[in-house]
Amino acid sequence: MAPEDKDDDMPDFSDVQSGASTTASGAEVYESYEVKPGDSLSKIAKNVYGKASDWKRIFEANRDTIKDPDKIFPGQKLKIPSAS
Amino acid sequence: MKRLSASLLPVLLLTTAACKKAEAPPPTPAPTLAAPTTTLPAPVGVKSVTLGSAIGPDKRVTTTSDVFTPKETIYAVVESDGSGPAKLRALWTFVKGDKTAKVDETVIEFPSSGPAINEFHVTKPTGWPKGDYKVEIFLNDGAAPAMVKTFKVG
Repeated sequence: MAPEDKDDDMPDFSDVQSGASTTASGAEVYESYEVKPGDSLSKIAKNVYGKASDWKRIFEANRDTIKDPDKIFPGQKLKIPSAS
Repeated sequence: MKRLSASLLPVLLLTTAACKKAEAPPPTPAPTLAAPTTTLPAPVGVKSVTLGSAIGPDKRVTTTSDVFTPKETIYAVVESDGSGPAKLRALWTFVKGDKTAKVDETVIEFPSSGPAINEFHVTKPTGWPKGDYKVEIFLNDGAAPAMVKTFKVG
């Protein structure tokens, strides 16, 4: 969420944990995440997986849109592979 | 005799004509095209969305609810069907008056080949704020949700 969109009246949902699964075979499950100002892959990995070093998981899942892991941009949509 | 023959002539002619008409072959029905024997597979669709606080091994909701406690895990189970590429996106949102806040957005992509049970779940270790929520299920990047369910935490 961009700073100008931030609404102090609204609760904080940054600690929400999510997941998904299916009976179908060959499924890919991921969280859709919009990059915020100040984000880095390691910061996102720390929030999602608990380890900043897991940034490579996010990088690998987004190789089609991320050329340089040090360059992600606010508003960019990333696939975050399921933590499980 | 001559007069009799003359008076019978039109009758004979009519009878002959009638007989000829009756003997005419019935019109041949227009040929009809045979129905195709192969049917196209049904496109992927969302059949139902069920909310609950628990699911079973078959991924179906075992405890249906639309009111949850702050510490519960909330499940949205989506039944899909049809064949082809399927992308199901669950967008969870907190609703307060005319304001909304995004809670979570999770995607399942799979090659659908028939009925499937797909579960999405969210939990908040610090507890869900009380209020109104909704989960929208989008299919294959559609602009409008295929289904919407509302629920409360209270």
